[in-house]
Formats: sequence, structure tokens, C-alpha cells
Amino acid sequence: MLADETIPQIRPVRAEAWLEFVQVLTGVALVAFMWMHMLLVASINVDLGGGRVLNLIARFFEASDMTQIGGPLIAAVMLVHFVVAARKLPLRVREQRAIWSHSLSFHHTDTWLWVVQAGTAFIILILGSIHMWTVLTTLPITAAKSAGRIQGRWWLGFYLVLLPMVELHVGIGVYRAGVKWGLIKRASRKASARFETKLALAMIAIGLVSLFTFLVLTKA
Amino acid sequence: MGRTLKFNIFRFNAEDPASVPHMDGFRLEETEAMTLFIALNRLREQQDPTLMFDFMCRAGICGSCAMMINGRPDLACHTKTKDLPAEITLLPMPVFKLIGDLSVDTGTWFRSMNEKVRSWIHTDNRFEPGEEEERMDNALAENIYELDRCIECGCCVAACGKAAMMPDKFMGATAFCRITRFMVDPRDERKSDEYFEVVGNEEGIFGCLGLLGCEDTCPKNLPLQDQLAMLRRKMGFSQIRHLFSGK
Repeated sequence: MLADETIPQIRPVRAEAWLEFVQVLTGVALVAFMWMHMLLVASINVDLGGGRVLNLIARFFEASDMTQIGGPLIAAVMLVHFVVAARKLPLRVREQRAIWSHSLSFHHTDTWLWVVQAGTAFIILILGSIHMWTVLTTLPITAAKSAGRIQGRWWLGFYLVLLPMVELHVGIGVYRAGVKWGLIKRASRKASARFETKLALAMIAIGLVSLFTFLVLTKA
Repeated sequence: MGRTLKFNIFRFNAEDPASVPHMDGFRLEETEAMTLFIALNRLREQQDPTLMFDFMCRAGICGSCAMMINGRPDLACHTKTKDLPAEITLLPMPVFKLIGDLSVDTGTWFRSMNEKVRSWIHTDNRFEPGEEEERMDNALAENIYELDRCIECGCCVAACGKAAMMPDKFMGATAFCRITRFMVDPRDERKSDEYFEVVGNEEGIFGCLGLLGCEDTCPKNLPLQDQLAMLRRKMGFSQIRHLFSGK
């Protein structure tokens, strides 16, 4: 509010309420998908890189058309989530400077977490889109094909960047959604933050182990 | 004790056309039980009588002495120097109009905010001075009082990342807390849609990023996190209801 303004009247916008719901619901849907996705990818470790379990799961999803329909649907949900959430991002240089200098001087963990969340959003949008396009245009998904990609020079670096970006964004996002909508109360905030940190680290660890399995143990 | 404190203090006199914003350095011997309020008074008495800062109650009640202390907003009167490093940087709070050095005008901003959220009981009941006051459940009265404890220091606004990005528009946690104070008060007859008129936009509750700078710096420890979440839910669901009612 301007300091000299007596009663700044800014009209309410009903759509803002709906968009707030769209943001959190698409976010929750994507988090659920990412956790499922991680479990399915991690199935490569069950038979030490043999790929039988992963191939079985992939075949099931393709035979039931869930990959063909769900894949583009997830891409659409991700795009909607980005566009709706981008309303909150500092897109102007003046805003970027303001939040950056505020974060540097304030030394406040939750403020930094949001900066990380905002930064990872752009990286995920680009790298996630490349990943989805590559996978969905070369169906069917097989362990051998995934291993071949990861054993190629550039793709390993690609996934070593994408994995922590996604898990950071997901972990911070779940925590922030809980705080914003009241599922995480003042009394449970510290414990929730600790749980989210452990969960994100566990997901990164599972992802790294799976990458190692694809890189070393699975036959391309 | 026995430390020599080094102060870096923002200096600018808005009323002096020749004044240029800059930082001044001061040194001061730390004494027992020293607060920033005591230190600033000593600096003014012993080293620079032109140093401007605000204070009134010296007891964390009036909210006048809020300033940025090593980057975090807090009250000078209840900040002990022993809890700070030997080098202390003091800046005036952002968002509010600068008067000079560490002194800002929070009064105009808060008056404007209180007018915007229509910070008074809205009722059609006639006040009868002779009649006995209507009784209120004790727990409810305490809940209202808890939200009424805001001293309007402005720390929550200075700590807000969204306010940093939208300093001329965003309402801030103090306004949201003010609204929830009236929402829980049964004497206020306003409906959800009327509250939505005030905070249902990007400048209001839907602009809040949930960074919790307000929650973590409020010197009165007001339950801002839980109040902001409650306001977001109430305002959000009040509009979803319209989707189904078709109005």
C-alpha cells in the first residue's frame, strides 16, 4: 500500500481464489505422480538391474494405454501448474532484484526455500519437457532403452541435474502447500520441515542408486 | 562483557536537501544488560546528537523502535546486544516512508491499512449505553484478544518477501491478522463475501507466498501462520461455493 494513500481500493478478483486451488491441486497431483514415478523407476533395483520388474510394469501401463494417455496428461498438468504458479514468480527485473537482496540480507530459511522453489521451476520446465518428449516419442519404455540413454555421455549429467531439482521442488512444494493451507500448523511446522527434508533426501538417494544401476548393472 | 561494539548505521535526513544516504560507523563499549535502545541513546548522547530513531515505551509495547537489525526486523528495545555479533548494521525498515536515519512513518501506513480492512465491528445493532454488555465466552474473548495484541510495529511487513516485491500494494500479515480478528468476533456481522471484497486478490491473501518471514519475526509472537492459512481457506472456499450455487 502507498504510505500516503488513504484507502487504496483494489477490486477483488474471484478467479484468484480458483487459481489458488488449481495451483495447489495440480501441485499435489504432480507430487503424487513424481513419487509413483520414482518407485517405478526404482524397481530396476529389485532384480539388480535385470530389468524384468521394470519391463513388466512398463508393459502393464502401455497395454492399458495409461502411458499413452497419462503421459501427455501429466505434461499438460505440469504446464498448467507452471502457468498458474508463475503468477507468483518475480518476472520483472525490479522484482527479481528486490527478492534477491531481501533474501541475502534477511538470512531466513523459508525465504531461501522459496527462491530455490522458484529457480528449480524453470529448470524442471525445460529439462522435464525434454525428458517427457524423449520418453514418450520412443515408446515402449524398456529397461534396456533407459540404460542405453543413461550410459550415453550427456544424459547422465542431464538426470544428475534434473533429479535434485525435482526432489527439491517437490519437497519444498509439499511443505509450503501445507503451511499455506493450514495442514501444517505452527505447532507441527518444525517436525514437518524435518520430515520433508528427510523425504527429499531419501528420494534423491533412491534416484541416485537407480541411476547407478542403469549406468553400471543394466544391459543397454 | 567488555566488547567494543561496532555500529554501521544508515544515515539520511529527508528534510535536508544536501543530505545523501550513506552509512556511518560508530564504536561503543558494551555494558551489562545493554539493549539496542540503550546503545542508540548512548550514541546519540555521547557521539552524535543528530542521530534519528524512534522510541516510546522501551518495553516492547508501542512498536516505535522497529528497525532492521543485521538484516532482520525487530524492536530495538527488546534486542539485547549480547545476542548480537560485535558488528551491528542498522537500517530503517523498508516499505514505510523514511523520516530520517532509522526513523520511519508506520502511522500513516497503518491508518491506511486499518481503513482499507475496515477495522471496526460492523453491526446493525444499536448501541444502548444503559444496557448490560452482551456476555461472551471466555475462550472466544481470549482468542480475539490474542489477535488484538498486534502493536503495529511493521516487522511482519518488513520481513515479507512479497512486500519487498510489491512494496506499494501488498497488504501484509498485519492486515490479514486484523481481518481474522473481526472474522472470529461474533459481534461483526460481515459475511465471507464482504471480507473477500477486501482481501480477495493478488494484493491480499492470494498474493501471500507463505514465506513465513512474518511468523518468524513478529516480536509479539502472534499466530500469523495459522491465521493466514485460515484466511486463505475461508476466502478460497467462499468463492468455490459460488461455482456450485451459480451466483
